[in-house]
Amino acid sequence: MGASSMQQFVSVVINSLLAAGLYATMAYGLAVIYGVMRIINLAHAGVMMLGAYVTFALFTRFSLDPFIGLVVVAPLFFLFGVVLYRLFGKRMAGSGTAPSIESLLLLFGVWLVLQNAAYVIWTGDTQSILTSYTMKSIEIAGVRVGLVSVFVFLASVASLLFLNILLTRTYLGKAIRAVTQNRDAARLSGVNADRISAIAFGLGTAFAGIAGAMFSTLMAFTPDFGRSFLLKAFCIIVLGGMESVTGVAAGALVLALLENGLAAYTSVPTSLQDAVSFALLFVALVALPRGLPGLLSHLERRSATR
Amino acid sequence: VKVFWSVLSAASALFVLAAPSFLDRGLLNDLWSLAFAVTLASAWNLLGGFAGQVSLGYSAFLGIGAYTTVLLSLKGIDPFLTLPLGAILAAIFSIAIGLPAFRLRGPYFTIATIGVGEAVRVCAASVSFTGGSSGIRMPAGSFDFNRNYFSMVILAIVTVALAAYVRRSAFGRALAAIKQDIDAAEAVGVNAASFKLAAHALSAAVVAIAGSLYAINFQYIAPGSVFDFQLSLSIVLMPIIGGVGTVVGPVLGALVVSTLQIKLLSISALRDSFLFIYGGLLILVMLYEPNGLVGVGRRLSDLSARLFRSSRSIVDA
Repeated sequence: MGASSMQQFVSVVINSLLAAGLYATMAYGLAVIYGVMRIINLAHAGVMMLGAYVTFALFTRFSLDPFIGLVVVAPLFFLFGVVLYRLFGKRMAGSGTAPSIESLLLLFGVWLVLQNAAYVIWTGDTQSILTSYTMKSIEIAGVRVGLVSVFVFLASVASLLFLNILLTRTYLGKAIRAVTQNRDAARLSGVNADRISAIAFGLGTAFAGIAGAMFSTLMAFTPDFGRSFLLKAFCIIVLGGMESVTGVAAGALVLALLENGLAAYTSVPTSLQDAVSFALLFVALVALPRGLPGLLSHLERRSATR
Repeated sequence: VKVFWSVLSAASALFVLAAPSFLDRGLLNDLWSLAFAVTLASAWNLLGGFAGQVSLGYSAFLGIGAYTTVLLSLKGIDPFLTLPLGAILAAIFSIAIGLPAFRLRGPYFTIATIGVGEAVRVCAASVSFTGGSSGIRMPAGSFDFNRNYFSMVILAIVTVALAAYVRRSAFGRALAAIKQDIDAAEAVGVNAASFKLAAHALSAAVVAIAGSLYAINFQYIAPGSVFDFQLSLSIVLMPIIGGVGTVVGPVLGALVVSTLQIKLLSISALRDSFLFIYGGLLILVMLYEPNGLVGVGRRLSDLSARLFRSSRSIVDA
């Protein structure tokens, strides 16, 4: 391996890692809602878009730095999620083990309303956030990367760590995991499943808001923003197995590596890159119904029987 | 009630067929759009309503039909001769997608179809023969308004009739069984996989023909117009607002949605945000009446029946 190809490889890995942090934040919001309520939250894309615009509004109106703005965005979107749950939760929650198509369509309606509310409030013009450090870059292991993507990565890791601690170390986290595993059993042991669902929906919505806020520092956006990322998030949670923070992170890394690797090593045009992740979503759904963890345990079992 | 519906549908069919002799061009264009909407909604309902497999990827089939027609017309073939080919291509594509995708259930199938639809759109926008994002035009001088109008209207009538036929056939009952409980259906010997594939192929073929007629009517297509996600979306919305799984529902939904759209698009302030109304309608339907307008109608007739009975019992007493 020559020096330049080694250099390219390192660059692919570092860029993928940086992207994976944000991908995982975005996907985890979907996963926590799916886990607790068994619903597929199509409104996630709308919430991400809203996160981007709220950050934009905070930045232009109050000249609040987008990363400090997260302190406002996260609780705001948590409340927004709880309100959404209180409005529509009766129709969404606890319809057995499989998600219902009704809840999917309902949340799809919510997405449309959010998207078009944004068209009314902020028009369809492309917006972007330019901070004093947007154009700056630093060098990591000989690879130049944007300062913003490093900040985004750090913020993502911080929020995922927070979530992981919340889920594993607190009573609330235990209750969320209990409802995820078996709603009825959790109820029988005294967990208020309705309240936990509201909190989980709030958490998922907050993560979508955070992801949207961070996207707004990296790229330009319109009210239509979010759809391709929603599909990527699905791809990640299908790959990651929807259950654990580490699974989701692994799924995010696989997708990011694939995207960056394709861009670096093949002549697939950038316009086709999205198609690759959508195709991966399809393949993952069909071929790996239990995600990478499922594949791993399957392989383990096969090698054990040999 | 059955007589009422058949008289009504026969009368409206006669009306739209006779319309060119007494309506002006603008209204005829609106009728064309109505027929287009009715066709898409009823075709989607074959799989989404009767069999309960909600797909959000139907723009792919519409685009296949539209592009088959334009590309072959540019080679000098009569556009109307290309309709069957577009339909066959779309049916083959639907089977290629369906073979793996129908292993997924409920919402997972829906998500997979969003992925397929978006992947097709992105691919179509980046290959050269589709004209990229700037689109392509039909050859000049190939437009005949009457032929165009009648073929769309006839397609709509045939599609609704097909839906009515399928619903009463053994095929339709198998689809209904799959919708209610796929495991139970398979246990009593319904081959769910092949029935779903057949319904998918049938509705894909109809949507592709509608796509061909779309290309003929507008004379210009682009990946952003025929492969658009919003198109897939309104295809799903119409039957849901009208009432999924019924024959009348998609027709009603198509009438409501496309009338709304024609009215709203004429108000410039709402041009960007008419999906707002769609979203609101979708939320309302899902919260209060998952059976759509048909469900509302059923409730009203139940209510009036009950009122009638109770008033009679008062009289009896």
